[in-house]
Amino acid sequence: MAIAREAEPVGSLHEIREAGLDREDLFGIYRNMMITRGIEERGHILYKQGKVPGSFYTGRGNEASSVGVATAMGPEDIGTPLHRDMGVHVTRGVEPWRIFAQYMGREDGPTRGRDGNVHMADAQLGLIAMVSHLPAMLPVAVGAALAFRIREEKRVAVAWYGEGASARGDTHEGMNLAGVRRLPVVFICDNNQWAYSTPTHLEYACETLADRAQAYGFDGVVVDGTDVLAVYRETKRAIEKARGGDGPTLIESMTLRMEGHAVHDDAFYVPKELFEEWAKRDPIERFRSWLRENADMSDEEEDEIAAGVKRILNQAIERAEQSQLPDPSTVAQRVFARPEDLDTPHHK
Amino acid sequence: MAELTYLQAISDGLRQEMRRDKRVFVIGEDVGVYGGAFKVTLGFQEEFGPWRVIDAPLSETAIVGGCTGAAIMGMRPVAEMQFADFVSCAWDQLVTVAAKQFYRVGTPIPIVVRLPSGGGFSGGPFHSQNPESSFAHIAGLKVVCPSTPEDAKGLLISAIEDPNPVLYFEHKHLYRRIKADVPEERYTTPFGKARVHREGDDVTVVTWGAMVYTAAEAAQQLEGDGISVEILDLRTLVPWDRDAVLESAKKTSKVLVLHEDTRTGGFGGEIAATIAEEAFEHLDAPIVRITAPDSPVPFSPPLEKAFIPQVDDVAAGLRELAEY
Amino acid sequence: MATPTAVDVVMPQMGVSVSEGTITKWLKQEGEEIQADEPLLEISTDKVDTEVPSPGSGVVQQILVQEGETVEVGTRLAVIGAPGAAREEEAAPPEPEPEPVPEPATAEAAAEVSAVSSAETPAPAPAAPEPEAVDVSGDGKSFVSPVVARIASEHNVDVSQVQGTGRGGRVTKKDILAFVESGGQAAAPEAPEAPAEPAPPPEAAPTPAAEPEPAPPPPAPAPQPPPAAAAPPTPAAAPAPAPPAAAEAAPGEQFEPMTAMRKGIAEHMRRSLDTSAHVTSAIEVDMSKVVALRDELKPEFQKSYGVNPTYLIFVARAVVDTLKDYPWINGEIRGEKIVTRNYVNLGFAVELADGKGLIVPVVKNAEGLNLLGMARSVTDVAERARNKQLTPDEVQGGTFTITNPGGYGTFHGTPVISQPQAAILGTYAVVKRPWVTQDEHGKDVIAIRPIMNLTLTYDHRLVDGALAGRFLRDLRQKLETWDEAAY
Repeated sequence: MAIAREAEPVGSLHEIREAGLDREDLFGIYRNMMITRGIEERGHILYKQGKVPGSFYTGRGNEASSVGVATAMGPEDIGTPLHRDMGVHVTRGVEPWRIFAQYMGREDGPTRGRDGNVHMADAQLGLIAMVSHLPAMLPVAVGAALAFRIREEKRVAVAWYGEGASARGDTHEGMNLAGVRRLPVVFICDNNQWAYSTPTHLEYACETLADRAQAYGFDGVVVDGTDVLAVYRETKRAIEKARGGDGPTLIESMTLRMEGHAVHDDAFYVPKELFEEWAKRDPIERFRSWLRENADMSDEEEDEIAAGVKRILNQAIERAEQSQLPDPSTVAQRVFARPEDLDTPHHK
Repeated sequence: MAELTYLQAISDGLRQEMRRDKRVFVIGEDVGVYGGAFKVTLGFQEEFGPWRVIDAPLSETAIVGGCTGAAIMGMRPVAEMQFADFVSCAWDQLVTVAAKQFYRVGTPIPIVVRLPSGGGFSGGPFHSQNPESSFAHIAGLKVVCPSTPEDAKGLLISAIEDPNPVLYFEHKHLYRRIKADVPEERYTTPFGKARVHREGDDVTVVTWGAMVYTAAEAAQQLEGDGISVEILDLRTLVPWDRDAVLESAKKTSKVLVLHEDTRTGGFGGEIAATIAEEAFEHLDAPIVRITAPDSPVPFSPPLEKAFIPQVDDVAAGLRELAEY
Repeated sequence: MATPTAVDVVMPQMGVSVSEGTITKWLKQEGEEIQADEPLLEISTDKVDTEVPSPGSGVVQQILVQEGETVEVGTRLAVIGAPGAAREEEAAPPEPEPEPVPEPATAEAAAEVSAVSSAETPAPAPAAPEPEAVDVSGDGKSFVSPVVARIASEHNVDVSQVQGTGRGGRVTKKDILAFVESGGQAAAPEAPEAPAEPAPPPEAAPTPAAEPEPAPPPPAPAPQPPPAAAAPPTPAAAPAPAPPAAAEAAPGEQFEPMTAMRKGIAEHMRRSLDTSAHVTSAIEVDMSKVVALRDELKPEFQKSYGVNPTYLIFVARAVVDTLKDYPWINGEIRGEKIVTRNYVNLGFAVELADGKGLIVPVVKNAEGLNLLGMARSVTDVAERARNKQLTPDEVQGGTFTITNPGGYGTFHGTPVISQPQAAILGTYAVVKRPWVTQDEHGKDVIAIRPIMNLTLTYDHRLVDGALAGRFLRDLRQKLETWDEAAY
């Protein structure tokens, strides 16, 4: 018997207007979802062309969740998105060419070739770069929220993790501290049902992960992660609640990881029928239909968005390919920060 | 100047920084109401309130991770591990997140983690360790090991000012045993500059932390025999003062490296290797290491005494070298 | 460690495009001792003036290129050798190739000592009774520690002659030092007598210049035994005549050679004027805000960071900010194309300490620097420029330059653009001037204000007058309404 509340889907344009989005915003969301998927599809091609070193991860199936959450964040809010959350970077405004440069290990990627794939973030956009030890980012986000609380700022931290990461101690420590101190943080659990090859029943034994929120003294909500508007609305509520001083919320966003853990993994261990079932709920297609039915998106508008996305991606790859590879002689430079490096948005 | 214990000097430095800079806050287990297991932050909560002197749940990962997040948001957190030994629970946050964030994405992480370390009072395997070399091995972390009250204060203030994660090892055995004059005003002590604890001509001891005093007692013993010992207190291991060590090695041509940490992979190996690489033609004897043996820190007094380098061990080592 | 075999000092390549350099000064003379990395000479190239550190330790055996001469990169300038070797070469016939090591016994020993690990080091003395001397496991006396081996080779000491006081009779560092000090090196007979021998006991020679120094005298030129005898009749070389090619100096005139740097400056200035269409616009800036802020920041900057927030730093910071909106002013004409960039490499014209030239060190990626970062970077490069410690990279790649002749009180100028850039900003003295402004009621009043003139000299081929005007206006705006968040 689940404890957490299950989120309602968003029905009409009127309903979403009440939640704070107008028609233009909706088109923007749609565009960001398209760019998100486009970046990963193009990145995958570059990978197969040998232009992207290392391994390559995508978040196919998670576009609604990542874009929906990021859309609900305020400009001063901060977050620690993970490797299925490209949509967060896109929505916060990272230029796509810099992401391709990052993929290819070039000087102009946000990590200047020091780290790869989605291990990046632009501090100017209020994002903190993830590490591979995914749940390690939860205490960091909680610490950001702690800073907001100490300074009595009306800002919120958003912390992502997955159902795999839920099994590790950092998750518990982070949530416990946030609960004890009622910190302004929203936890987003991207539950895509497979942690590499390990299914959910080998990761946790409760009915939903959102149920755990109660144990930490705050609310849990389960939301359909393929419904961008439902994700947006639930996140918005949780963020405003945190901003108002009413503590954290845990939102469990249910999706299916539509590809392998990384592109070298064909995900043979996921039942075919499951893929087929979830393919019918493709988040982008789902939102496209919704826009046509509820927001009168015309053929021209749809084509214009699609053409615009294509143009952005073409230009982005072209520009990224012109970016230099890092200079090997700089390998051991900038290991330590200097006082003047504290000139970040938050260290003024 | 005021005469302060090593512990009071730490407390004094921390309090001064908190008064001066609103971004500085303290978080740790029992640091608030109780004033910390060793009372370094005694009275702090009354002065600075519960949101700047934060009693954390028993969660080293959340404490250090939380400091990292707060630092990224512009704060200057000072975390207290109740014992340096417990930092193992926060290893991932320090090594995976804090140490690498600036190199990866250019985000400085100005945090200080205070680590009451060292043995000598039957603390046993989990309350006595000196894990500094583990962290010295991690690129991106700074490692500080003061031995005097004056340095304890100056290095703590430097650590808070530093834009990087700094591990501040405060030796528990020195807390109340060591007392000295400490300037009352605010001052910083630079990283990477060794201190000559004692000048000498015949043998150099390179050490840090509580072993500075062990070495000093040994040197005193040898004075009567006409053996003149120079003691270099490194003060910080990352960065460490290679120039001072090499200079002293060239002067005396005989070096003893002394540390309380265990032998294999201890920082003394790095020092010895550097001397061998860069001052080989100045050596008149093999470089000698005196360290704890490669075992956990034992509890029972005779065992612990056998574990921690003693004055007689150091004196014997120095004599060997002098006579070589 | 003394250099066991002779080491050549060569003209370094100070930048990829540099092919030659001029020796401006020898800091050590022949016969003087030098340590590795100690400055040996100063050179001047068209990129940079710098000191050249010695590649080895020992004695300056021979200087092959004199001050004022310009030679190609890679040319041998001098030879550094072990002290013993220096004496030997002097006795040998003049021979440009220093390879054949003069004193086999000691030099070889020295070479081996540095190459072989201490435990295996054989006793270096030729007279040593062979095999058991190499035996490490024996009585311990034969083991020679690295430092003892080094001292032995430096002083030509046969270690077996030294009484050891270490474990098992080992010769310690103290033992060998005491031995050397007590004059024990006489035990090594072949070394130090060389200078005494050729110097005959002639009657006190009238030319003191010819007196052989006790230290190794100049090697090659005149190895004839009685130098004094040859000297008196022909004081030939004394007032050296002007170089053959140069025209005669008129009475009252004096010649001085043009340094490579001066030649470079001359060439560059001419080329810049031939290339760009120079036009200068000027603007007056009320620096009140900057002055106030500087007064506030100065103590902290100086105390905490040891740098001075000069007006120049504020201007530089504002320039970088303004250039973001004026990519062409930060750009260049390259062939048929206009180059713009997303970074600013800011050059600063720095006058050299001797007043004999200027150099333009470049602060790379200045767009990433806050006020403190700018202050540090500028102080650093300027200091190193004056001390001739810049690397070639640090004087290249500028995209915009600031020159600051205002230090002498000048209020206007028309500097020359540093090619291939598009513009150069001149900053002048901040002076208090009567200034028409408005009071709180909007009425005109005259106030005393610190005013600084700025000039922008730009290449009119690329930058139009209106663009330059807008740039200066925006720059003034930034300085007059300094946004504290920007530092």
